[in-house]
Amino acid sequence: MAPYSREYDIKRNDIANAGTVASLTKRALKNLGLTGEFIKQVTIGVYEAEINVVIHSYGGQAHVTIDNDFVEIIFEDKGPGIANIEQALTAGFSTASSYAIENGFGAGMGLPNIQAVSDEMDLQSSEDGTYLRIKFYIEEDDYASA
Amino acid sequence: MHLRNLTEIPEFTLLTSITNPDQELHGLFASDLLSHVMGNAHEGDILITVLSNINVLGVASLLDLSAVVFTHNADVPEAVLRKATELGIALFRTKLPTAETVILLHNKGV
Repeated sequence: MAPYSREYDIKRNDIANAGTVASLTKRALKNLGLTGEFIKQVTIGVYEAEINVVIHSYGGQAHVTIDNDFVEIIFEDKGPGIANIEQALTAGFSTASSYAIENGFGAGMGLPNIQAVSDEMDLQSSEDGTYLRIKFYIEEDDYASA
Repeated sequence: MHLRNLTEIPEFTLLTSITNPDQELHGLFASDLLSHVMGNAHEGDILITVLSNINVLGVASLLDLSAVVFTHNADVPEAVLRKATELGIALFRTKLPTAETVILLHNKGV
């Protein structure tokens, strides 16, 4: 199978379209016959990361790769960066704006949720931007039996 | 209990049409924080919330939730109703507070 590869722009504060990357990735995984449980894990991770770019950054991109034995998504944004990564990974810690909170976000659960569902997570951040790579390994039993 | 049975509950008003009336209802999830919904709700759950913005539908659709019940008589924007119709998500509204809605549905066997 040729790797599936997609790139998406994610705009700052574009809450109405937040979830597009997650939704299209979910559809691609469904078409490959992966189980609902596997798809849910990836969908949660992608959605949370996508929301983070929308509500916390000046905008960025998502790169989605699906290969035979893994799904990898890289999010890169243009800043302002995460001041304290350790705090950001603490469940319940939030720096979300009131705009984000009014829209149901900002519970401080985004990164902890991503960490919980993914097999690998690499997070780097500076004032120039944040890089987040999340990877999910596809095992044989992640394919729904025909 | 099936999705169509929700239309028979006098306290509930159906705001959209129902595309899959025979869907079985297994569980409930109540929260106004979308990350909690995302991380903890299960496929087929009814979401009970006071949040009525477009992102609720994004989460409902990503998790394949069965329906959303807006409590406290929440205002539901026209754009949300249109999007729900497009996605085939059944939306209900009730004057009841969230906790009472959970109890009511629980007593009906959901």
